[in-house]
Amino acid sequence: MLFLNPLQSLWTAWQSQGCTVTSLLVIVLLPWSSSTSVEQKTLDLMRREPLIDGHNDLALQLRINYNNRLSTIDLHNLSKTHTDIERLKAGHVGAQMWSAYVLCSSQDKDAVRLTLEQIDVIKRMCSNYEELELVTSSTAVRETKKIGCLIAIEGGHSIDSSLPALRMFYDLGVRSLALTHTCNTPWAETSSSIHRVYQRDISLTEFGKEVVKEMNRLGMMIDLSHSSVSTARAVLLISRAPVIFSHSSASAVCNNPRNVPDDLLQLLKKNGGIVMVNLYNRFVACGKKANIATVADHFDHIKKIAGSESIGIGGDYDGARG
Amino acid sequence: MYWRVILLNVLSGFINCSADINREKAERLMAETPLIDGHNDLPWQMRQLFNNELEKMDLNTLEKTHTNIPKIKAGHLSAQFWAAYVPCESQYKDAVRQTVEQIDVVHRLCRLYPDDLIFATSTDDILTAFQQNKTASLIGVEGGHSIDSSLGTLRMFYNLGVRYLTLTHSCNTPWADNWLVDTGKDTAINNGLSDFGKELIKEMNRIGMLIDLAHVSEKVMNLVLDLSNAPVIFSHSSAYEVCNSKRNVPDDVLKRVAQKKGIVMVNFYNDYVTCQKTANLSNVADHFDHIKKVAGHEIIGFGGDYDGVTRVPKGLEDVSKYPDLVAELLRRGWTDIEVKAALGNNLLRVFKEVEKVRDSMSSVKPYEVPIPYADVVNPCRTMYGYPPQDNAGSMVSLGLHLPVLTLLLHGTIVWLF
Repeated sequence: MLFLNPLQSLWTAWQSQGCTVTSLLVIVLLPWSSSTSVEQKTLDLMRREPLIDGHNDLALQLRINYNNRLSTIDLHNLSKTHTDIERLKAGHVGAQMWSAYVLCSSQDKDAVRLTLEQIDVIKRMCSNYEELELVTSSTAVRETKKIGCLIAIEGGHSIDSSLPALRMFYDLGVRSLALTHTCNTPWAETSSSIHRVYQRDISLTEFGKEVVKEMNRLGMMIDLSHSSVSTARAVLLISRAPVIFSHSSASAVCNNPRNVPDDLLQLLKKNGGIVMVNLYNRFVACGKKANIATVADHFDHIKKIAGSESIGIGGDYDGARG
Repeated sequence: MYWRVILLNVLSGFINCSADINREKAERLMAETPLIDGHNDLPWQMRQLFNNELEKMDLNTLEKTHTNIPKIKAGHLSAQFWAAYVPCESQYKDAVRQTVEQIDVVHRLCRLYPDDLIFATSTDDILTAFQQNKTASLIGVEGGHSIDSSLGTLRMFYNLGVRYLTLTHSCNTPWADNWLVDTGKDTAINNGLSDFGKELIKEMNRIGMLIDLAHVSEKVMNLVLDLSNAPVIFSHSSAYEVCNSKRNVPDDVLKRVAQKKGIVMVNFYNDYVTCQKTANLSNVADHFDHIKKVAGHEIIGFGGDYDGVTRVPKGLEDVSKYPDLVAELLRRGWTDIEVKAALGNNLLRVFKEVEKVRDSMSSVKPYEVPIPYADVVNPCRTMYGYPPQDNAGSMVSLGLHLPVLTLLLHGTIVWLF
């Protein structure tokens, strides 16, 4: 039913999100300075410009491990997850897009209800802890003195092909929707071949285009992580707003269907959107092992093709991927 | 001879004057106190008639429904709980999604008619709308099947502005029994409320969601009156002693509602007014009189059920007719205070108290224990998130079958050899 993230065992040496990102920045800045001052420079930079991470599946872990019963845990310190408040602070995370993800096997069943429950757990988490604050606008993200919580839905199956559901999710504070997870919806195509549902030739149907237009109208970010290249291309042609890849890396460095090929990176540059680099080994190194330098290669490549304005970080911590 | 004609003319003039006086007074009272109706199914008509494509209709000129804007204005309808209703057939299927769509309809109606409708979620909002001469538009979800036994969904509906939940429509939920159980047309599965249902009541108190007991069984009415810390409502139910439909409220429950300072908002549906296919305005006023007599004027309100029913009384054909009913109450000797109480002051009191109870419970943690999986097993429900031991229901039943199967197998082997 649910896969444990193989990333977990490999990243045990890197317990803190903070260590990872700090080290990443150290490597990036290394050629220009001695290591002590680079680390200091990194921390100074991150204190001034807190990190916004594009994708974290803590809410999924809360479901799997605790059935969303927040009263049974202390979010300051959790042993079963990559993420807790102490480590978010150590990592200088200024804002996190929390993924409200529900399984593809709930498509056409209880996906809508499950998604509402994931939104509920994220909202409760963010109001229960004084270090966290729910934010729903770019201004609020900038101005918050706490760790800003954004809500992102991961998979169009969560809206059950209903534009009203999309609108009501926006009213609940959701600010990003990934058009697919690892399953096609009736109107958009995934990059994955795990679930063989709604297969057809058209990667984005007329209704799918209406979804894109409605998302533009509402101000909901369109997330193309997990979408097929064809769907992504179709969206980039019609979206009036910049789009995101909340947790994808560069195909040229690791040729995985979850990553973004160079031609899409070029379209993205024109669109003004961003790719938030995923840290999962399989997407970073196309294998079971990866290190910080491999991740940095993705940053370098995306910067080369699409410019530094097109890059972000979407760690995919606490995610469960097949 | 002529004096008889003159006398008749004078008398009829006097009666007309009287009627006019009451009607004028009704309009005056309705200009001073908002009429708040507990239940209108216009959103359902939007679905039925237009598949929620609101651009295809104009609420200013719509003729097919009991409700449109000119009628709302003529009826002095100052606040309305619009029903976000989906049929019982959607239970265990797509009830949640459909309910979300009906909630969206109310939001969109308010955006499409901003001069006349204004979205509202509080007593303050109702009073502000009244001052602006607009109709405060609130949302009530009609039927517990809409939340799919999910407290997270209940909370998110509240976030979307929903302010009452009718615990059942005309079908049982896994945690509450409906009124058909009392008619013999349905079987109780919970003897009222399950443990989860009881926790739901407390959670509704905690978040400030009005508990609506229209459509529930009598057992549920009494259990909720036992449990709830906040006053409760019947958004569209009438008096059982006047018309003995199980959709109506018996006298002992009316008295309990009065003790809890709740409200019963009288339904205009003929079948619940006279227990027949026809009714008139006077029959509806009889329900108002009866409730006042048994339980006092402080628990009465208006819950017309317009656009949710096909048979409405002569004299109350649509939402423009409320002032005529108010005039009838005045004619029957209702005081200004009593009329204003029924119009809106009672509902405002109840709603205010529900808000107070919510605020007093702000340090209470949300209720998080999900409904037992065994209570909700169905083909459309994934068991996502339940730890394996919560599947104990099905494991126990398998455990009971095993010895029987073993015996059968043993018997078969013995017979064969």
